[in-house]
Amino acid sequence: MTSRYCVTVGALLVMGLVFTVPAFAAPEDALMPLEKYTTAKAKSLATAHRRELLKFSEEIYNCLPWLSVAPGRIGFPKAKDSTTDDRYLSTWVIIDQREDPAFAALPQERRVSAMFSRYGVDMLRRMAALTDVLNDSGVSGLSVVLSWLKPGTSQPGQQPVNETFALFVDKGTIVDFLAKRVPPKEFTSRAKFYLFDGMDQVAGRVPLEVWEDSFNSTFKVANYEPPKGAQCQ
Amino acid sequence: MRAWFSLASFFGGVMMLTAACATSEEWAEWRNHTTHFASGEHGMFSLRNNKDGSNPRVTRTDVEAARQQNWWGKAITVDPSQIFQN
Repeated sequence: MTSRYCVTVGALLVMGLVFTVPAFAAPEDALMPLEKYTTAKAKSLATAHRRELLKFSEEIYNCLPWLSVAPGRIGFPKAKDSTTDDRYLSTWVIIDQREDPAFAALPQERRVSAMFSRYGVDMLRRMAALTDVLNDSGVSGLSVVLSWLKPGTSQPGQQPVNETFALFVDKGTIVDFLAKRVPPKEFTSRAKFYLFDGMDQVAGRVPLEVWEDSFNSTFKVANYEPPKGAQCQ
Repeated sequence: MRAWFSLASFFGGVMMLTAACATSEEWAEWRNHTTHFASGEHGMFSLRNNKDGSNPRVTRTDVEAARQQNWWGKAITVDPSQIFQN
């Protein structure tokens, strides 16, 4: 009995370790800690722009309550396959969305396009507005990571699964795209992106479409009051 | 044999076309509606709404509380090291 109990507890502990769970971070906790950076360049960027990143984190926390930043996931990482020290201003948000029949009916690549158009573009726009960061020669570009509940996986007794989309784009392209000098197709052809189903990377390049969607910049939670002093745009 | 193949192709084609139409309609519906948010919204109202339904103010703390209450469990998510190097 005791050994069965121990096995069960052990299994749960192992599951807890294996299944990475992005919890929800308060504004300061959303910034990547300085000691986590592995190069002097990254530490320097994080130090130089800490105040702006904190303000940006507060803006998400106070003004976009349907989003959460994963702890330590606003910062200057580089892409996993990078062989140089190209640093990207990056934000990883978890989109709070429950099961939705219309969303569930979409094929995976359409869900990705929908989520990126709705949340990813707006987050890139907000990051691009951090002009001191964007103009820093040490910053190569912007990166946004979006995670959301995979439809049909939040059933009782089932382990929920997140779908995660990560995109990296150089500064010139994102600036021109936001200014409509680069069309969406050109933007997607220049960007690097990855899709994950749970922990598994989806093979190949997902056919990403991007269109106008003002939801993230216009939606208001009914009767929601940002904290006093919060500047929401 | 050939007749069977033609029949199967016909029904297969009809199914594909029907599925495409349904997907397209559902897609447009999701694209247009803005009420899919969120796991916590109802929770927020149950937390803050007065008994007479008046003054349902929602704060950021309420959002967090509702989110914790409604959170459906630990989700399997990609590890950051699969995307980034620090």
